[in-house]
Amino acid sequence: MTNTFMLYAMREWQLLFRNSSTLAQPLCFFVIIALLFPLSLPAENALLQRIGGGVIWVSAVLATLLSLESMFKPDYHDGALEQWLIQPRSLTLAVVAKVFSQWSATGLILTLFAPVLCLTFRIPVEQIWVLFVGLLLGTPSLTLIGAIGAALTVTLHRGGVLLAIIILPLYIPILIFGAGMVTQSAQGADITGQIYALAAILTLALTLAPFAIVGALRATID
Amino acid sequence: MSAHEISAADSHGHCLAANNLACQRGERWLFEGLNLTVSSGTCLHVIGANGSGKTSLLRMLCGISRIDRGDITWQQKNIAGNDDYFSGLAYLGHKDGLKNEFTAAENLEFYQRLNFENDPAKVDEILAEMGILACADLPTFQLSFGQRRRLALARLLLVPRPLWVLDEPFTGIDQAGRNLIERLCVEHLAAGGILILTNHQSLRSGPLKPFLNELEL
Repeated sequence: MTNTFMLYAMREWQLLFRNSSTLAQPLCFFVIIALLFPLSLPAENALLQRIGGGVIWVSAVLATLLSLESMFKPDYHDGALEQWLIQPRSLTLAVVAKVFSQWSATGLILTLFAPVLCLTFRIPVEQIWVLFVGLLLGTPSLTLIGAIGAALTVTLHRGGVLLAIIILPLYIPILIFGAGMVTQSAQGADITGQIYALAAILTLALTLAPFAIVGALRATID
Repeated sequence: MSAHEISAADSHGHCLAANNLACQRGERWLFEGLNLTVSSGTCLHVIGANGSGKTSLLRMLCGISRIDRGDITWQQKNIAGNDDYFSGLAYLGHKDGLKNEFTAAENLEFYQRLNFENDPAKVDEILAEMGILACADLPTFQLSFGQRRRLALARLLLVPRPLWVLDEPFTGIDQAGRNLIERLCVEHLAAGGILILTNHQSLRSGPLKPFLNELEL
């Protein structure tokens, strides 16, 4: 089982490092979107501080969404996916490995970079920690749920917009808890509830999404 | 598997059967009520015009496409979720399943590890047998179409698999390559393997003739 997971995960990481643009693009997109806000809003520190957490969360959601379209498409077009379907190996584990490496190349990197962005919004250090923990718990769910949409639209020629329409509404709860956490902690309120909610969403996504992704792939690949 | 089942499989070899199979594309039925049985040491050549459902049939037999009606069995057991079947199946379709970012050897090594083996020397041997050892360390995107096909076909030799399903294996391959593939197929069939393939030319005059069965769609 670990063998199958590692085999697919190592392959994904090798591919990611050979295609360095897939690694750099989501991060650049994330930074640019987040930086557009301080540039376009009135230069008031208090305002930027209030909206900073929300802006970074929305940027993370959009950057994740951008990376989803290329998740299964290349493997579908060169026939690797149909070979995975007929291996005597667990497709579910293959999909989990794929999502994990995809997250480590997008969500994880965004999370690690978010504290730097927080400085441009003049967010105090305590809330940087809150945002960091929120992103660390929230971005894996974003990738897991997004992968269901990516699997459903893998055969479509221009599936990007459809993917956004399917997936963005499902991101709303994560966005509410994640961005709400930063606001609440700025007001000095307790954020344990939001952390538990994000952890619960992650647990649900981790246990159910892989099966949904496999089902979607089997149904769409014909 | 009990001792009794093993001996039954040994005496009868392998058997792939489809019962009352049908394939629908949109509103149209490509074929209906298709029955076929292929057993060890036979080659099934699926013949038909463009769009008659040859590729669809092959993909159904491999468990890639959804089966609209009917069922497919391997050793009398349904192929859906049947690990025994998938460990015995090798499929080469129109898409070759190779990653451009990897070298030829790396592509083959990945499939070798998927087959629970890890032996770089054997990969080199197979590449040499397919006549593409010189390209082993080239990124796959630099290979010509024919070399890519040879690399994809090299997957068949990684581990012995009783069932080969090949969708137009001779496309883009030169005469020497065709002779090579035909020889590999004959060896596979002589060892009791099953071969299902599509090809636009008749195979009646080639070396596959003694094993040949034809199915017209």
